[in-house]
Amino acid sequence: MAVWHLFVANLKMIARDKQALFWALVFPLIFVVVFGLFRLDQPSSAKLTVVDQSQDRVSLALVEGLKGAGVLEIDQSRDLASAREDLAKGQISFVLVIPPGMAQTVAGGATVREPVSLVLLYDQAHVMTIRVQSIVRGVVDRANLLLADAPSFLALTGEPVQARQIRYFDFLLPGFVGMGVMIYAVVGMATILASYRQEKILKRVLATPLSVGKFFVGLVLAHVVLALVQAGIILGAGVLLFHGHVYGNLFWVAVLVMLGNIVFLSLGFIVGSFAESSQAANGIGNAVTMPMMFFSGVFFSSDSLPAVMRVVVKYLPLTPLLEALRGVALDAKPLWDFPTQIAILLAWVAVTAVVAVRVFRFS
Amino acid sequence: MTRMDNVIEVNGLVKSFGTFRAVDGISFEVQRGEVFGILGPNGAGKTTALECVEGLQQPTSGTASVLGMDTQREVRRVKERIGVQLQASGYFDYLTLTEILELFGRFYPRRLAPGELLAKVGLQEKARSTVGKLSGGQKQRFSIAATLVNDPEVVFLDEPTTGLDPQARRNLWELVEQVHAEGRTVVLTTHYMEEAEVLCQRVAVMDRGVIVALDSPLNLVRRLPSPYRIRLQSRSPLPMEGLRALPTVREVARGGDGTYLLQAGDAASTVSALVEWARAHEVSFEQLEVKPATLDEVFLALTGRQLRD
Repeated sequence: MAVWHLFVANLKMIARDKQALFWALVFPLIFVVVFGLFRLDQPSSAKLTVVDQSQDRVSLALVEGLKGAGVLEIDQSRDLASAREDLAKGQISFVLVIPPGMAQTVAGGATVREPVSLVLLYDQAHVMTIRVQSIVRGVVDRANLLLADAPSFLALTGEPVQARQIRYFDFLLPGFVGMGVMIYAVVGMATILASYRQEKILKRVLATPLSVGKFFVGLVLAHVVLALVQAGIILGAGVLLFHGHVYGNLFWVAVLVMLGNIVFLSLGFIVGSFAESSQAANGIGNAVTMPMMFFSGVFFSSDSLPAVMRVVVKYLPLTPLLEALRGVALDAKPLWDFPTQIAILLAWVAVTAVVAVRVFRFS
Repeated sequence: MTRMDNVIEVNGLVKSFGTFRAVDGISFEVQRGEVFGILGPNGAGKTTALECVEGLQQPTSGTASVLGMDTQREVRRVKERIGVQLQASGYFDYLTLTEILELFGRFYPRRLAPGELLAKVGLQEKARSTVGKLSGGQKQRFSIAATLVNDPEVVFLDEPTTGLDPQARRNLWELVEQVHAEGRTVVLTTHYMEEAEVLCQRVAVMDRGVIVALDSPLNLVRRLPSPYRIRLQSRSPLPMEGLRALPTVREVARGGDGTYLLQAGDAASTVSALVEWARAHEVSFEQLEVKPATLDEVFLALTGRQLRD
């Protein structure tokens, strides 16, 4: 019964602590809103500037073909020099140069020895480069076949099978859940513990017949509930306000959030035991969580890190949590598809719990 | 041997931190219904001694029992029946006074209603406030209310008035008297000798981990070689030798405004001799004041040091 009353009292305290609520809820929501407002995915179209130096029936047919390919927005220009200049300045990204005399060459029929060289100038840094190249090549190939009057033996029909298209924002959402749960659990628990010790609240509780274990069970339970609320609000805001997607089973998401929360609360407990004051606990807590926030793949997959770092980062608690969260939420996989990640998290629970008990002090 | 009216028995209690012996072998008993004081300067070992008796710290050696229960082996049962006020401890920042008392009550098998507790300490109007909004004196009163949450038989107060202004201190003294009047045994530590004199039936004087004296405040004073202070004021200067020659007078000091302070072993004989001496020498006094010495002076006599911080 005492545990229940402690649990309720702790919930009340969290709800009344504006600073705690900011870090737990507002801080991750800021990320959701900021990343939700920016268009982070590949643009669905690209502008192609055509410099048509032929202006004959063949070149015009080719331009029509490009217009019909979708994706490309065609812009005509007569002046190659100024098009090159715009490309160099980065004002435009793709230029297709059609040389003069297209119709004449084609009229030559089978006697043509060398093909006419169409030139695609492109900005290498543009995200659409590969797509634009392949579209233009496809149109040119088709034009060749048509002009040669060759029969079609093979036909390819594209059929989109993967119904879910995972956008960058969808990738970020589970990252924000992991980040929010981590930061509040570590920093919140560390500051609470340090201030309880500083203000002798722990010692005051020790003077009652209540067991210390029950005291902390009540505290941890309230924080686990907060973590679930946190995850619900982050995912809810992402899905409802910014059209994010969660494809998987929310129950598995909740299980992972609780497991991760226990690891981070335990880490916070250790930080709070070492820190001399609640301010120090806040600072150390941030120092512990910041590197994980950047390296464990909240914003980018940690696969892009140098190999040596990847090995280290793989074993930080946020990394397996995010991998499993994304697998469950985005790929709709069941929890048991992530045995390695869960093993790493459970190992963290065991190690941090042992350390937490050893370093704990009342005063 | 456990006497029925002893609620606390401490025997040869030692508490060491490394090589430092904070409490160095103390023994005492506290009787039912008593207000018992532990008086000493900061660092004398008062708090450590108290916390060993409360079951908050494990003694290095020696034993302590409360209500016939050993504070080591039966610590939980001891805690159920005692009330503990820690020196300057805080309470949860984001709960109201009522909520804190309600919560702490749940830690005990037997509890008093928050409203009743707040009424006892005169904080009914603050029931919905948080601790952060209370003044220093109100905080200490609330802390006493929290101490009484389980209707304890024995109440421990660790420096209950440290840091309070004189008015708040007097209010708190009244509250301690009231707690005592409810039939509870009170053990308090203090470094204010006045507090011990006003509140305590018996006082253990502690210094450097040991009890240097234990008795009622009056008896402690009486044990001084010169337990009385006679202050007199005269317009004309008085011969110091004449005053020093009076019976039982041990020391004479001259203050400003023609005042003289005599330390005497006996009040009655010294005063009558003083009056006769004045008549014979044709001097007159403006004022004549006789007071017992204070516990401050007891402490000075016992340890050669001042009690103050």
